Amino acid sequence: MIAVSVQNLVKEYPRPDGTTLRAVDDISFSVEQGRIFGLLGPNGAGKSTTIKVLTTLLPPTAGTVLVNGFDAVAQPLQVRNSLCVVLQENAVEMFLTVRHNFLTFGRFHGLSSAAIERRMGRAVELFGLHEVLHQKPIDLSGGVKRRVQVAKMFLVDKPVVILDEATTGMDTFNKRATVNAIREEARSGRTIILTTHMLEEAEELCDSIAIINHGRIVAGGTMDDVKKMGLQMFYLTLKFNEIGKELQELVQKFAPVKLDIVDNEVNVTVREHHTALDILSLARSTGALKHFEITTASLEDVFVELIDRKRAAEGR
Amino acid sequence: MRNVLAVVYRDALIRLTSLTWLFFDMAVPLLYLLMFGVGFNKAVGMGVTMGGAAVSYNDFFLAGVLSMSCFGSAINQSYGFFVDRDNGIFYEFLTYPMTRGEFLLGKMLFQCIMALAQTALTLTAAVLLLDIPVNLTLLPLTVLAVMAGIAGWFFALSIVAFRVRRNDTFNTLINVAYFVLMFISSMFYPLDAVPLWLKYLSYANPLTWHTDVLRYLTVGAGSLPVIALESAGFLLFLVISFLFAQQALKKAA
Repeated sequence: MIAVSVQNLVKEYPRPDGTTLRAVDDISFSVEQGRIFGLLGPNGAGKSTTIKVLTTLLPPTAGTVLVNGFDAVAQPLQVRNSLCVVLQENAVEMFLTVRHNFLTFGRFHGLSSAAIERRMGRAVELFGLHEVLHQKPIDLSGGVKRRVQVAKMFLVDKPVVILDEATTGMDTFNKRATVNAIREEARSGRTIILTTHMLEEAEELCDSIAIINHGRIVAGGTMDDVKKMGLQMFYLTLKFNEIGKELQELVQKFAPVKLDIVDNEVNVTVREHHTALDILSLARSTGALKHFEITTASLEDVFVELIDRKRAAEGR
Repeated sequence: MRNVLAVVYRDALIRLTSLTWLFFDMAVPLLYLLMFGVGFNKAVGMGVTMGGAAVSYNDFFLAGVLSMSCFGSAINQSYGFFVDRDNGIFYEFLTYPMTRGEFLLGKMLFQCIMALAQTALTLTAAVLLLDIPVNLTLLPLTVLAVMAGIAGWFFALSIVAFRVRRNDTFNTLINVAYFVLMFISSMFYPLDAVPLWLKYLSYANPLTWHTDVLRYLTVGAGSLPVIALESAGFLLFLVISFLFAQQALKKAA
C-alpha cells in the first residue's frame, strides 16, 4: 500500500521583484507503508518546501500530494490527522515543563491524559529524558530541546512520521537512539519520511531515497539503485609488507580513475569490478600483500558526484 | 470541540507559568476603575451628562473599563503568536490535526474564560466598593457582551499578528491603534460632549459600539434602537474578523 504519493509537485514563491522562484520543480515519488524514505540534497534544494507541502503548511502550485490516501489540498485535516512532524526549526513549549510538553502534544493528537502518561514512559526512556522531565526547555541545551521535540513523535501512533533534519544538534548517543527508534517504528508499520544532511544516517536507515537539487530529483530509488545510477566505482585498498617500484607502473596499466600510494598502502579507484579483481590478483602475485579491502561507492560519493554533474550540466 | 479544548488546556498551562500576564488579566482593569475612575470622578464633581441625565463618572466609566480590558486581553492573546513563533511551536501547531478555525476559537475561548473571572472581579468591586448600580438581571448578557468583545478584538488583532512578521512592528501598530481607538470612542467621555467630527468618527469605531452595549447592560444608559444597531455592527465586525483571521492564518505558514 502506498502511504505517501507525490506526483508532479511544483511549488513557486513570489519574489519581491514580481518574478517567481521555483523551489520545487515537478518532482514525483511514492513511499510504501512501513518503509523509510530519505529526501536528500544540499541547502536550498527544496527538501523543506516539499515537507511543508506534505504537511499542509504550504499549498502546492501544481501537482498532487496524497498522504494515507488523502489529498493535501482537498482534505488537509485528514492529512494532518494521518501524520506527525518534526520540523527543521526547534519547536517546543519553552515555558512548559518537558512533561507538560508531552501532555499538550498528546492532547492535540487526541490522546487522553491517562494514555499520554502511559506512552510517555517509553518516549522518556528512549531519549533519556528522565532527569529533565520536570524542567522547562528554556533551561535546557539545544540538543536536549531537540530530543524533546523528536520524542513527542513516539508518543502518538500516526501512520506517517515526517522528520526534517531530526537528528541535527544531537550527540552521537542520542542520534543512535533516534535511528534505532525510527527503525523500530518502521518495523511496526509506520511510514517514515526523513530529510537529512547526514548521508551515513540516510544510508543506514533508508529503504529508498531521492536526491533533490534545485527543486528537481536528480536520482531516486532504492539505495543500491541510486548508487548504481550515480556512480559505478570500486575502491581497492592494498597493504603490503613492502612495495616494489614496478608496482605503480603495473597498476597504471589498468588505467585507474585514481591511484594513491602512501608508504606501504595503495589506494586504487576503478570503474569496473573485474579491473579491481585483476589488480588484486596482481597484488597477490607480488607475495608481499598483507591486507586488502574492496568497497563500493558510498552514498556520499554518489551524492557529491550527482550534484557536481548537475552543476556541470548547468554550466556552473 | 476536543481540539478547541486542547488549545484552551495548552494556553491555560502557559498562562499559569506567567504571573505577570495573569496579573494583567485579572487586576489591571480593576486598578483602572479604582484609581483612574475614582480620581476622575472626584475631578469632574457632579459627573457627566448622558442623554440629558447626570450620572457619576464611576457609573459611566465602568463600561469603558470592561471594554478596555477586552481590548487589552485581546492584545495579550494575539501577541502570544509572536512568542509561539519565536519558540518555533507556532508552525508545529499548524501541522496538528485541527482546523485553523478551531485553533483560533480555542485561543479565543481561553481568553473568554479569563475575561469572565476578570469581569466578575471588576463588577464586584464596582458594586461593593464604588456603589455603582449595576443591573444584575442583565448579567448573563453582560457576560456574553464581554465574550463577544474579546472574540472580535482577538480575531481582528490576530489578522495583524499573522500578517506582520516582526513583533516590534506589531507593538508599534497596536500601540498607535490602541491610543487612537480608545480616544476616538465613548470609552472615556460621553459623545454628546465632543465636537461633531469626533462624534462621527467615534461612531465608526467598533470600540464605541462595544462600550455602548456594555454601558446599556451594566448601568442602563443609552437608547435601545441605537444599542441594537451597535450590537449588530459589532457582531458583523466579529464574524468578518474571524473569517479574515482564518485566511491570514492559512497564509501565515
